[in-house]
Amino acid sequence: MTRRTAPTLREQALPVAVVLAAVLLLWYGGAVGLNAQGAIERVLTPRGTAYGWQELVATTWAMERPVLPAPHQVLADLRESLFDFPLDSPRNLLYHAAVTAQSTLLGFVLGTLLGVVLAAAIVHSRTLDRALLPWIVASQTVPVLAIAPIVLVILGSLGFSGLAPKAAIAMYLCFFPVTVAMVQGLRAPQRIETELMHTYAASRLQAFWLLRLPSALPYLFPSLRVAIAAGVVGAMVAELPTGAQAGLGARLLTGSYYGNTVGIWSALVMSALLGLALTGAVAALERLVLARRNQA
Amino acid sequence: MAGSMIKQVALAAALAAAAFGAQAQEKVTVQLKWVPQAQFAGYYMAAAKGYYKAEGLDVTIKPGGPDISPVQVIAGNQADVVVNWMPDALAAREAGVPLVNIAQVFDKSGLMLTCRKDSGVASAKDFKGKTLGVWFGGNEYPFLNWMGKLGLKPDSDVKVLKQGFNVDPLLQKQAACISTMIYNEYWQVVDAGIKESDLITFFYEKEGVASLEDGLYVLESKLKDKAFVAKMGKFLKATFKGWNDAVKNPEEAAKVVVAADPSGSAKLAVQKRQMENVAKLISTAGTAKIGYLEPAAYERTVKVLLTGGSSPVIKKDPGKAGYSHAVWEAASK
Amino acid sequence: MSGQATRGAPWWLALAIALTAAAGLCLLMPEPGSFDDGTVPWAWRLALLAVLGLAGWSVQRVAALDGRRWHGTATAALFGLWVLYVWQVGVTLFDVPRVLLPAPSWIAGMLVDRWDTLAADFVQTVGKSVLIGWALGSGLGFAVGVAIDRAPFLQRGLLPLASLTSTVPLVAVAPIMVMWFGFEWPSKAAVVVLMTFFPMLISTLAGLQAAGKLELELMHSYAAGYGRTLRDLRLPMAMPFIFSALKVNATLALIGAIVAEFFGSPTVGLGFRISTEAARMNVGLVWAAIVVAAVTGSLAYALLVQLERKVAFWHPSVRSR
Repeated sequence: MTRRTAPTLREQALPVAVVLAAVLLLWYGGAVGLNAQGAIERVLTPRGTAYGWQELVATTWAMERPVLPAPHQVLADLRESLFDFPLDSPRNLLYHAAVTAQSTLLGFVLGTLLGVVLAAAIVHSRTLDRALLPWIVASQTVPVLAIAPIVLVILGSLGFSGLAPKAAIAMYLCFFPVTVAMVQGLRAPQRIETELMHTYAASRLQAFWLLRLPSALPYLFPSLRVAIAAGVVGAMVAELPTGAQAGLGARLLTGSYYGNTVGIWSALVMSALLGLALTGAVAALERLVLARRNQA
Repeated sequence: MAGSMIKQVALAAALAAAAFGAQAQEKVTVQLKWVPQAQFAGYYMAAAKGYYKAEGLDVTIKPGGPDISPVQVIAGNQADVVVNWMPDALAAREAGVPLVNIAQVFDKSGLMLTCRKDSGVASAKDFKGKTLGVWFGGNEYPFLNWMGKLGLKPDSDVKVLKQGFNVDPLLQKQAACISTMIYNEYWQVVDAGIKESDLITFFYEKEGVASLEDGLYVLESKLKDKAFVAKMGKFLKATFKGWNDAVKNPEEAAKVVVAADPSGSAKLAVQKRQMENVAKLISTAGTAKIGYLEPAAYERTVKVLLTGGSSPVIKKDPGKAGYSHAVWEAASK
Repeated sequence: MSGQATRGAPWWLALAIALTAAAGLCLLMPEPGSFDDGTVPWAWRLALLAVLGLAGWSVQRVAALDGRRWHGTATAALFGLWVLYVWQVGVTLFDVPRVLLPAPSWIAGMLVDRWDTLAADFVQTVGKSVLIGWALGSGLGFAVGVAIDRAPFLQRGLLPLASLTSTVPLVAVAPIMVMWFGFEWPSKAAVVVLMTFFPMLISTLAGLQAAGKLELELMHSYAAGYGRTLRDLRLPMAMPFIFSALKVNATLALIGAIVAEFFGSPTVGLGFRISTEAARMNVGLVWAAIVVAAVTGSLAYALLVQLERKVAFWHPSVRSR
């Protein structure tokens, strides 16, 4: 195991292409299997003409209400929603992605800050460590979607509406992985290192800044990737109880509600792309920070 | 003495408000039961055509969703008035949120059970041993009551599924029957390619177990305030105008609804058909009686709810406290 | 850290003073809704604040105790009790509508009254969906992580895809899983598998990279092969990462299963209970179900912490606790 450098584009592209091809094959196969019953029952039988297996396969890939839409159907729907409407139209998915990204990012930044601050406090204060940490864990076991409507109503009666409640729910999901990883990371330094700090007569703050924080970074970044993914989910979940408004969560809901399966999948793909873009941004930040550390 | 004094001041204030008319718009927030669709065309029409503005109101229409309980919204002071079904509203009354019906927009029920003929259901007698999809969230009560009437025990004689908010369980044969609304989900089943001749339907209205659906509810405490009653009277007046228009011009109503949908998922043809079916549930549209809650209909619903099988929706008869005609009368002046 | 226990008042005195003040506030408190026009006088607010201050102090004194294992648990329990107390008193004092936030006493009553219902829900959701989904998802994540650690090609191909699936919100997947696997628990377990797989994969890969250069070169100098290095050095070094993922996954699995039940379920399960009873305005039972979920999650977490202590007792991150 040598230290890995960032793979070049070619090294990266080929494996992704191979895996994607495998996924597409599976997907097309799955579409045939899952849609066959509906295709026979609702499309081919009413026609009343005899049909062969080619026709059956073609039908399963072009259903109006498929159980699993074929990839090209989703792509066509994505293309239409991205290019046939202006950017500020509610029929354009980018508009919804932007709405979701807004609450995700706000929640992520707040959640990360909260997580780091909490972790630092827990590592340094025995009272907080013993009193808070178990409850932080317990907080995550409250099913957030169940209380999302209640949270929205309570925040609403306090005068928060619009972006704030959605960001609050994203934050609620973001802060936990960061807190847990940071508590572990800040405690990671070996005794010998902490004692070294002690012999240098370093203050607590210096020890934190020079030793604990750097040694926590390898723990922090994986948790940030998990957190931002959770944040996207949180923001989308929060869009559900706010009704069918703007945002990818609302698109999923209405897609499911109007039986527009293709619409659900294109919203899904869009949310995955949004998540990928956001986790990509976090990974880039990670590379930047760690590279600077290695130079130092 | 002091009372008359206050009245005079109020009168002066009202005159002043009238003089400065346009600036002093009264705010009203209405919370819908579900996502923007033709089921609520009246409110969107009244807003789009300026009827609310003409009454001096600044109305905010909040769309609902699967996790929005209108009752919670109004309890949290996030709305002045909510669109809700009567079972949910009366259950909320018993749970400590004193809702009062001020108008009943839909005087007929659109709730039905839609079954596949090939599942072996030909009449209500065949439900035994079948899987039935039911919406929960206050909409299960008529179903439980009906099963009680048929002498079937849910979860032993019939298997009950908590249905999501689409019709897939029927398309995929996961259930023999599912709950549908005549103005909406029934047509989704048909659109999905199942022939109407392959379906068999049971209307709650015809089975004698219907309860009142879309009505307007406010908090009881607010009705003591005369200014609030007057304001809601104006709101009803404009809303009824909107409904009358929507019933007359389904096409136009559908356009308004599609324009009002921020998620961009509503489709014109679907909404137009939905509006045509919703119109059938407002038999009083275009008459002076629109929105009037018939006490007999109210009492019938209460009776259905009190006899909900093993777990009745409400345990006490709310009596006449559950509705008020005061606002409706203020609107019809 | 040491020496704190010797400063300040003894813990029992702090606790006694705080409890007395709290009880006093409870006894003196007027009936809910007895303030005219619903505003709470400043005197009452100040009294509540004072009790809060004393409560914080008592928690601090108990936390400063040194030594035995149960002291940590006692601190957390005391803190929780104070939160419950403030919740109860605050809700009563400010006359918060039950629909928004019911008092803890009301929720506790519901827990007792509807115990049989909640037990059946627990078996359905936790016993079936969560356990099976969590074990499958975490197991798969770990296996794939170890497998592709050896194949950089696959790693580069799968990791972006894994990130893709991780950001697919379960909200959307749940109705789709209901379409594929039906209304019963398998569809919920499928959602949980999807949710737990990714954090485990990421953590396993990160954990396998955690072994230092020095140790790796040492293994190399012993002529230890890949399998031996994995077993004796890299997997043990990865343990804290893996346990961290297991802990996060335990909570994710609970949320996933509960939320998945919102989108179609049989008439039993914690998610079913929460969504239907919320609509019935039976908020007490909703919170009771949430309590069951939260307690379950916390117990699972505590069990995992104990297990980690047994497995990775030598690791600095564990040792320093």
